[in-house]
Amino acid sequence: MPYLSRIRINHLRPASRRLLANPHVTHGAVVGGLAEITGTERPLWRWDTDRAQRPHLTVCTPSKPDWSHITEQYGWPDADGDQVLVRDYSPLLERLATGQEYAFRITANPVQNIPPSQKDIDEHHGEKKIRSRRAGHRTAAHQWSWFLSRSEGWGFEVPPAPLPPTEQDGDDPAAAVDLRITHRQRLAFDKKGKSVVLTTASFHGRLRITDLDRFTYHLTTGFGPAKAYGCGLLTVAPLTFGNGC
Amino acid sequence: MSPEPSSESSVLLLRLAGPMQSWGDRSSFNRRETRPEPTKSGLVGLLAAALGRPRGADLTDLAGLRCGVRVDQPGTVLRDYHTVSDFRGLPLLQAGVSAKGVQKPTSPAKPTHVTHRFYLQDAVFVAALAGDSELVGALADAVRRPAFPLALGRRSCTPTQPLALDVRPGGLEAVLASEPWHAARHARQAYRRRQGGAVPEVDLPATFDDEDGTDVVNDLPLSFNARDRRYSTRRVRHAWLTVPTGETAVGGAAAASSHDPFALLGW
Repeated sequence: MPYLSRIRINHLRPASRRLLANPHVTHGAVVGGLAEITGTERPLWRWDTDRAQRPHLTVCTPSKPDWSHITEQYGWPDADGDQVLVRDYSPLLERLATGQEYAFRITANPVQNIPPSQKDIDEHHGEKKIRSRRAGHRTAAHQWSWFLSRSEGWGFEVPPAPLPPTEQDGDDPAAAVDLRITHRQRLAFDKKGKSVVLTTASFHGRLRITDLDRFTYHLTTGFGPAKAYGCGLLTVAPLTFGNGC
Repeated sequence: MSPEPSSESSVLLLRLAGPMQSWGDRSSFNRRETRPEPTKSGLVGLLAAALGRPRGADLTDLAGLRCGVRVDQPGTVLRDYHTVSDFRGLPLLQAGVSAKGVQKPTSPAKPTHVTHRFYLQDAVFVAALAGDSELVGALADAVRRPAFPLALGRRSCTPTQPLALDVRPGGLEAVLASEPWHAARHARQAYRRRQGGAVPEVDLPATFDDEDGTDVVNDLPLSFNARDRRYSTRRVRHAWLTVPTGETAVGGAAAASSHDPFALLGW
């Protein structure tokens, strides 16, 4: 039974800065909140930093988590207000149906597979099979088309943006569909002495469910790679004025 | 808002847009600055040029128009580094005059001045001039068929079309607030991106002639005579106008903070 959580983080604590700066540390803190990890399902998490002074961590976990260690180390353990919000995710999963539209948010890791070059083949003479190399998409246009080309396999589509006909946005690809890239980042951090480099992009927009099973599956297991590092958690919210894009 | 005189029965709307504009109000000599908004002397000068009035002509009717300026797109400041010299190689003149009242040459001889000229680039303003409907109608015709070439504050700053938008009845502020936003496409896209989607309204700064205004500017022209340029002061009031963008709401303002995934979880 999956759960969705939101944890407030006190950014003034030195430990919180390490947490915010290094996805490897965040992943450790998130996994530490699960008493049992059942099956192959893994926790998904994402930083929501709409307001720089109020970062919060959104987490989707396969079982009921306990975030008291995060609040104690990185939050306000004794302060008023909900420091942690944990809700059962199943009412949403039961409510979803094909054709429904929602506002969504996701931070993803757009990547491409680069087939082995002749040079790679020459270096591995003797070996017959050489794996292709994975590299991040680094431009907004590539990240954009990566997301749109994957969306069908993930069980949803991004409908056209209802722009007024007077707007002359003919040559602007951003105007064609209801999707925006709100943040792009190159993350470079340490993982046990080795450095990891990731290119991430945050997408906001509107989606319409086309394949319910695939969409529900990915909602709890993640979209795209780098799921341990704050990528792949898609959240949906009601479409109201002032919400979608 | 002060009550508007009964003689004001119509308002002329002008769209002031061009690659460059320059609206100086007090700079002279070698540093020519620009105000961030069009000056009344600039607007009156533009209208007088459209009517074909010579330099020394009487301006009381034009200076008596109530004016309001809306900033649709603020633009950026451009500094033009410029040098001035006499083509004959003679030394430039100094400020002091000889016993005959003639300017003396600089000593030691100075062949070149450095001047700085400031421009607003990529700015769009909507100016409204309210007054007697007969005069305003004549001005609208004159701006469409000007007697002299028109310029946005300086001769080198030519306006883009359309310059004259409309003549409308009503109060200055109401007319200026109802005119849709005249920003360029890139400015609209930047605004949409900031707002997180298209929104139907935008708040724009505006300045109005107002006897009870809080600010005083020294740009009311009394004479454009080349040998006798004179200006007086006028009181202005600064305000914000909520103006239609001409777009229907697609997303909304606050999209960044309103995404609440817990809203669907029944809490």
